[in-house]
Amino acid sequence: MRVDIQSLGTYNRLAQEGAEHAAASLTQMTGIETYVDVTNVTLMSKRDVEDVFGGTEFVGVQIGLGGGLSGETALAFDRESAASIVDVLVPGATAGDDDSFDEMARSGVKEIGNIMMGGFVDGWADYLATSVDMTPPTYVERAGTDVLPNGALERAEEEHVFVFESQMTAVDEQIDAYIYMLPEYGAFAEMLEASDDHEDAIPMDKLTVFDEMTRQGAERAAENVSSMTGIETDVDVSRLSFVPIEDVPNTARDEVYLGTVMEFKGTPGGYLAILFDEPSARTIVDATVPMELDEPLGDMGESAIQELGNIMTSGFIDGWANVLQTSIDHTPPELVHDLGTAILSPIAGRLGQSQEYAFLMDSTVVTPEGEFNCEIYAIPDEQKLKEALDSLLIERSDQLEANRESLF
Amino acid sequence: MKTYGEKPASTRTRLRVGIADFAVTTDGALLTTSGLGSCLGICLHDDHAGVAGLIHVMLPTAPDDPPNVAKYADTGIDAVLYAMRDEGATVDNLTAKLAGGSAMFEFDSQDEPIGERNVAVTRAALDRLGIPIDAEDVGGDAGRSIRFHGETGELLIKSAGTERRL
Repeated sequence: MRVDIQSLGTYNRLAQEGAEHAAASLTQMTGIETYVDVTNVTLMSKRDVEDVFGGTEFVGVQIGLGGGLSGETALAFDRESAASIVDVLVPGATAGDDDSFDEMARSGVKEIGNIMMGGFVDGWADYLATSVDMTPPTYVERAGTDVLPNGALERAEEEHVFVFESQMTAVDEQIDAYIYMLPEYGAFAEMLEASDDHEDAIPMDKLTVFDEMTRQGAERAAENVSSMTGIETDVDVSRLSFVPIEDVPNTARDEVYLGTVMEFKGTPGGYLAILFDEPSARTIVDATVPMELDEPLGDMGESAIQELGNIMTSGFIDGWANVLQTSIDHTPPELVHDLGTAILSPIAGRLGQSQEYAFLMDSTVVTPEGEFNCEIYAIPDEQKLKEALDSLLIERSDQLEANRESLF
Repeated sequence: MKTYGEKPASTRTRLRVGIADFAVTTDGALLTTSGLGSCLGICLHDDHAGVAGLIHVMLPTAPDDPPNVAKYADTGIDAVLYAMRDEGATVDNLTAKLAGGSAMFEFDSQDEPIGERNVAVTRAALDRLGIPIDAEDVGGDAGRSIRFHGETGELLIKSAGTERRL
């Protein structure tokens, strides 16, 4: 199957508009000003889904969709955010003190969930010129992947699932909410399917291979960190998402990072950013520089991060080059110490000259004890990515399955 | 990126402007945007009418029929001007301040850096409209976050641990 990139873009925009309606409903009902931070559509394997949702606790609602758009949705708040909202919505309801929500609080969450998701779905129904049925909301208070609609994880095991995700944030308060929509795979695949001669089409099976390559690249980079710092590391999240180019900078948090950025040339061309938040960078510097530094993030510290960035970059690139059986030229990794959005903005700008949407491959390297985390962003040039996938023979992907150990 | 409230946009005290986005205030709200790298923040102020606008553009010139006019300096300036005119601003009374347009990386420093082109196209567009640039903090290799005071037209710029007022 080949996926039409333009239509993926259209659905991403629908999800964004839907999320804006949902945010407006939340604001109307609570008076808390909210905005939609990022909307993306991600292609996830079971392992990706587990990585993304594992370990966090959510409060929210699940609503099933039928009719013109079949699938499952979930609206999820972290516990503190849900407590703040319940507090405004149903004053007097118990929310938070002993960590349990009473019946009134639950029905408040269900009510706001129903209204927000109604707003989210309306736009889709309009665009598809059809009616979409919603099941009554089910209140959920669960950890990790359990917040996802029933069966979503099992479906991801059989084939990748598309996950639409919108993050909403309050302007002046610490409130975060997420909307997830998992369209029923077969029906959605049909909606996306492109004719064979469509020039913008990307072969779906190869895209999943590329997703896997990214994970492997990140794992290789993580191994290199471990061997340099002596700290055990793991790749926590690795996913391929499709976002409007102007949303790329927002995928980094609004805080200062230290790391390296480089441009890779040839097929696929694009950019790779390896970023540590400042506390993480400090931990790394302490672990790698044998002396006590007055200024851990001064010149000495920065050069330690530069060295680490170089090593991680080469690990990442090796992974890709091996699978593509080609050498990948790149500029020397450049040290950067700035706000995350500012760091990613020139990358979005340069790619934005020729494309409206970006395939964003982001991975997070973490440690079991939480000593540090590192975010890796690989953003290929769309045209070059297509060329790379075209030249990636399906036999190679079979070989990837068979020889994964030897390749990485 | 849009923000929502029960009250109309112009009566809030602080408006957050995202990338490829703009906001206009008629009653002195603080307009903020963060993480300007090669992107450019264009601040416009009509002291007489009490109208201010901030746009965060990513690229210099728009293709035909762009899906989001606020992404580009040329179409974005027009869009924010229309919105300000709707609120009572007059082009003849406008003044501008610019911040951003840096070249953060080597690979973006040669071959017509985007930040530089954002600044050049913006200057030319403002010049054509007869809008003077009162102050600017552009170029360099560091990112910037800005707060534009809608009432006074004062611009606070934070960059690499330092603060500047323009």
